[in-house]
Amino acid sequence: MSYTLRGRVETRLAVLAPTLAVACVLAAVLAEWWPLEAAALMAGVALALDVVVYHRLLPYQPGWLALPLGLVELGVVLVAMRDLGVRAPIAGAVALFAGSWLFGQLLVHAALPLGRLGYAEDGGELGRLGPALAVTAAVVLAAAGGFAYATRPPVVHLAAGEHAGPIVLDHRQKLVGEEGTIVRGGIRVTADDVTIEHVTVIGGEYGIEVEDAKDVALRDVTVLNARLDGIHVRHSEVTIEGCRILSPPAPYTQGIDVSFSIDLDESHVIGCTIEGGAEGIVTHSSTTTLMGNRVSRTTLRAIDMTEMSMGMIEDNEVIDTLGIGIFCGDHSECMIEKNSVVATRPDPGSDDLTRAGYGIVSHFGATARLDDNTVARSRGPAAFADGRIVGASS
Amino acid sequence: MPPRSRPRVAGFAGDACSLERCAIVGGGLAGLVAYAALRRGGVEPGEIAVFGEDPDPAAVWRRRAAAIRQRWMRSESDGHCLPSTFPGLAVRTALRRRSVRPLVASLLDRYHPSVTEFLDHVERVRERSGWDRSFRPWKVARVRAVGGGFELDGQGPFRHVLLAPGHPGLAMPPELAGDPRAVHAYEPHDYADEVAVVGAGMAAATEWLNALAAGASVVSVRRREPERRPLNLPRPLFTRRGLAAFHASSDAERVSALRRLSAASYPPGRAWDEPVAAAAREGRFRVEAAVDGAAQIVCATGFLRGFHHDQLLDDLVAEHGLRTVESWIAVDADSTVPELTDGTRTLALSGACAQWAFPGADTLAGARYAAHGFLRRVRRCRTR
Repeated sequence: MSYTLRGRVETRLAVLAPTLAVACVLAAVLAEWWPLEAAALMAGVALALDVVVYHRLLPYQPGWLALPLGLVELGVVLVAMRDLGVRAPIAGAVALFAGSWLFGQLLVHAALPLGRLGYAEDGGELGRLGPALAVTAAVVLAAAGGFAYATRPPVVHLAAGEHAGPIVLDHRQKLVGEEGTIVRGGIRVTADDVTIEHVTVIGGEYGIEVEDAKDVALRDVTVLNARLDGIHVRHSEVTIEGCRILSPPAPYTQGIDVSFSIDLDESHVIGCTIEGGAEGIVTHSSTTTLMGNRVSRTTLRAIDMTEMSMGMIEDNEVIDTLGIGIFCGDHSECMIEKNSVVATRPDPGSDDLTRAGYGIVSHFGATARLDDNTVARSRGPAAFADGRIVGASS
Repeated sequence: MPPRSRPRVAGFAGDACSLERCAIVGGGLAGLVAYAALRRGGVEPGEIAVFGEDPDPAAVWRRRAAAIRQRWMRSESDGHCLPSTFPGLAVRTALRRRSVRPLVASLLDRYHPSVTEFLDHVERVRERSGWDRSFRPWKVARVRAVGGGFELDGQGPFRHVLLAPGHPGLAMPPELAGDPRAVHAYEPHDYADEVAVVGAGMAAATEWLNALAAGASVVSVRRREPERRPLNLPRPLFTRRGLAAFHASSDAERVSALRRLSAASYPPGRAWDEPVAAAAREGRFRVEAAVDGAAQIVCATGFLRGFHHDQLLDDLVAEHGLRTVESWIAVDADSTVPELTDGTRTLALSGACAQWAFPGADTLAGARYAAHGFLRRVRRCRTR
């Protein structure tokens, strides 16, 4: 088929319109936004490729080319979803894309040529149906966007200055602090779809506590001197980005503890700076990605993925810790890549062999898969008690 | 020669509703494509008259294909006589053979129906469309515009008429006229021990292989190297993508384009090249710029070009003052004749004579293009 530009766009809209409709239904049934977000991304990527790339490069498009082009589009959509933070399950997004692609093939090769006699010779143009489809797609997207805007969580602004805690967030909202906003005594989150931004928390048993909540985002928060955990997450799904945590040197203090959420979607700890405390970042029975964090001066372990946890420990910086740098324990599956572990000191107060200043430790049936880590001024990676290390570090 | 008495055209001549009816002048493949499109558009057989000399719409094409011993079509899955490209011949063959191979080949642009499959398809379309109910054995010699329609040799008037007269004749190089050694490729012939094949298109390439397979030595007589392309024209010229610029071009540009596009070509591929290369190595194939002393000369030089070679079209142009550009009738983009088409009547051309609208007009895709334009006009001004 030799598409005209208009034909390409109109044919694409003919494929996307039912896809958007299906996405609307899915979004309503699942009470999730991702089907619509994914469908909108698919539409954006496809139309952009049609206009910018395909029309120029493909004066004639043979039937077989639909498959590689579809794979390219799928790849671009998945990357865009990741980069734009669309929280869609990969399988769901791929299924939506594949369904749309298959429907498109049937439409382009059979239904449209059968229904519109001049479809092929018109270069894919659909006559009066084309603008109608464009309007429909735009209306659907605008309506969905408008609905999303109208139903977005309320934004609560916390003024600069000190506020007495604990503050309990038990319904969806976005809590935004101004410069110099301080909460003394902690924040407790018990509702889904809560975002906290630009807030400093001082003291409290836990600086920020999240319990039984999904879609929680903590961005640019600072926690100072919490008595136990800086950020304490239980059976929740969170994204923690750009946090700063300073923990006091007590036996049980932890910077971030994400635990008991193995049945939920993955949590993320990205770009945080954690200093002091017994442990820096800890996960128990959870699926997490710990990426781009800087952990220093801990007295037990800097990063600890344990109790049948699984996840990625990538591109973190671990400096000046006592005993163990990165720990993968108790039947966990840890992908440990591109981390830098420097100056892990032996713990002179412990006769535990694992605490002899190892940069990376796999312990008690855990599997640590190493790739491209740098371990310096520390003992090399080591396995204990049926722990397993796959790969090596320099 | 037309029969001496006019045929009885039930429901047409003298009928009070005759202005509602359609006529197709030409009973070949282009006529069948137009007929199938009208039928798909809801026009009943009783509302259409097809004027032709042979009720078999493939009669002429069959003879020519047999003459050059053609076994495979150059066209692909959509090279058929139905009004929509889907389902094409690949789908039909896949269903008949219960095999996905034709579909895969079609996706790869490698599916070419056999001549037998194509002719079977033509026969099925003929049977299922009601063609024979509309067919009138009459060679129309004159088309005359009258109020609200057209008279065909005095019959009618018909509100909507499509002229699909076919190629006006076989083209022979003037210097070979009367040469007893010369035969046109599209006329029945066998092969001498040494055969000169004049031309470099699809028919010429087919004749090289035929003659080589028959054990002859072949001299390919051509003035320039043939183009190699899968279809008669570059693919964008079969859709609006390529046609938009063609239609927007000036007369001179369009003439230049049509001349350029009419250059000889045949498909690329080993099936064409390997036998020729092997024969060349054995000294049985060579290329010359002029005919020498070969025992037989096969002229694969195609057809006469231009409306003035067709008496019906020539008279039509002269009588109605139609605009022409060199040897082309200047039809509109939808293959209709602008001077004789308006909201109440349609005169359209199909086949080689409609090249001004569609450079590949003498292909099945071209016939379908003209048929669609004709159907749109018929639908637009139906008054029932």
